[in-house]
Amino acid sequence: VTDDATRTLGKGSAPPGPVPEGLIRLYSMRFCPYAHRTRLVLQAKGIRHEVININLRNKPEWYFTKHPFGKIPVLENSKCQLIYESVIACEYLDDAYPGRKLYPCDSYERARQKMLLDLFYKILGYQNTVFFGGDCISMIDYLFWPWFERLDVYGIADCVNHTPALRLWIAAMKQDPTVCALLIDKNIFLGFLNLYFQNNPDAFDYGLSC
Amino acid sequence: MSGGSARSLGKGSAPPGQVPEGLIRVYSMRFCPFAKRTLLVLKAKGIGHEVININLKNKPEWFFKKNPFGLVPVLENSQGQVIYESAITCEYLDEAYPGKKLLPDDPYEKACQKMVFELFSKVPPLLLSFLRRQNKEDCSGLKEELHKEFSKLEEVLTNKKTTFFGGSSLSMIDYLIWPWFEWLVALELNEYVNHTPNLKLWMEAMMKDPAVSSLFIDPKAFRGFLDLYLQNNLEACDYGL
Repeated sequence: VTDDATRTLGKGSAPPGPVPEGLIRLYSMRFCPYAHRTRLVLQAKGIRHEVININLRNKPEWYFTKHPFGKIPVLENSKCQLIYESVIACEYLDDAYPGRKLYPCDSYERARQKMLLDLFYKILGYQNTVFFGGDCISMIDYLFWPWFERLDVYGIADCVNHTPALRLWIAAMKQDPTVCALLIDKNIFLGFLNLYFQNNPDAFDYGLSC
Repeated sequence: MSGGSARSLGKGSAPPGQVPEGLIRVYSMRFCPFAKRTLLVLKAKGIGHEVININLKNKPEWFFKKNPFGLVPVLENSQGQVIYESAITCEYLDEAYPGKKLLPDDPYEKACQKMVFELFSKVPPLLLSFLRRQNKEDCSGLKEELHKEFSKLEEVLTNKKTTFFGGSSLSMIDYLIWPWFEWLVALELNEYVNHTPNLKLWMEAMMKDPAVSSLFIDPKAFRGFLDLYLQNNLEACDYGL
C-alpha cells in the first residue's frame, strides 16, 4: 500500500490546513502519469511528504486557490509556496532538497536530458492526424505500440486530459485487427510481470495451459 | 562577434569547420525570436561567440546533422557538443559560463521563472498567426486572445510589485519573453499593451538594457523580412544585407 492510497477530496470538502514544517505536500491523483513523475522524485530523494488526492471530475472549490485551472500535480510547502507543472515541480525538488541529485551536474548532460524530454513531447505532439503516419495505421504506429499497450495495462487512459490525441490513438489502435489479434490479456500480463520481478523462471510460461 | 550580420548559409553551402577553442558557435537567423533569446544571453553574459546564420527557407543539408529538427537556435562548442531548443540553450549558457547568473539560485524563485515561462507559451504562436492574417482577414478574435495572454503576464507583475518578471533586476525570464515584445515595438503595435500598464512599463525598462538595445531589431529590415518570409521567399532571411 503506497502512501498516496487515500480517498480523493472533491466538491464540498473542507480545505486542508497549512503544510506542517518539515513536510512538503503534493496534490495528486493515483493514476495520473504527470503526478507520478513527482511521486517518483519524492520517493527517489527520500523527501518527507504528504499526498492529497484530488477528484479531477469533481474538483474542490478551494483547489483553484492552489492552481488557477485546478490541474495536478501541485507542490505546496510550509512557506505556502506553490509549484506546478510536473517537470518544474521535479526540478524544484531536485534543487531544493539535499541528497542524491537526479539531474546530472554537468551542464551539457543536463541540457541533453532536457532535449530528450523535448523529444518525448514532440513524439506526443507529432500527431496532427489520428495515427502517427497519417490517417491510416502504418509502420511507425506498430513500432510505438508495444510500449503503449503495456502502459495501457496500468490505465493511463483513465487519467487527466493532458494527452487527448494519445488517448484517441490508443483507442484507434485497439480497433486495428492486427493489434487486436495480438493483444496481451491484461491479467496474464500482470501475472507474468509479478513472477518476472521475483526472478521466477516460470514467469515466461504464465497463463499457458499445459 | 563575427557573423551576426552575415549572409545566411543555404542548400549547397559547405559545412562550417570546427568551432575554435575559446568560442561557442550559435546557428541563428537575424530575425528569429527564438534565436534572439540565445543571442541576448550570450551578450548579457559577455560570452565570446561566433554566429552562423541559416537560411530557414532553404536549409543546408549539413544543418540537419547539427539539429535533426533543422531549427535555430543551435549551440555548438569546441568539443563538438550540440545543444538545441532555445530555452535549453539559454539555461545551458547560464550554467556553463561564469559571471552574472541570469537564473536565480533559490529553487523556488527559479521554479517561479519557469512557471511564468509556461504562462507566456501561447504568445509566440498567437502573435505569428496574428501577423500572418493582418490586413487579410478579420483578426479581432486573435486580438482578444492576445489581450487575454498579456493580461496573464500583467497579473504576474501586479502581484510581484516589481519592474521585471524575476524581481527588481532583469533576469533570464525577461530575456526569454522579450523578442516577441520587440516585434510589437518594431511593428509599432505598442497599443496592444495599453490595457496592461505594468507590462508597458516593463517594455520601456527592457529597452534601456544594454544587451537588448545593442541587439535591437531594425524595424525596416524586419518589415521587409516579414513580407518576404510570409511569401516563402528564399531571400527573406538575408533582407537588408
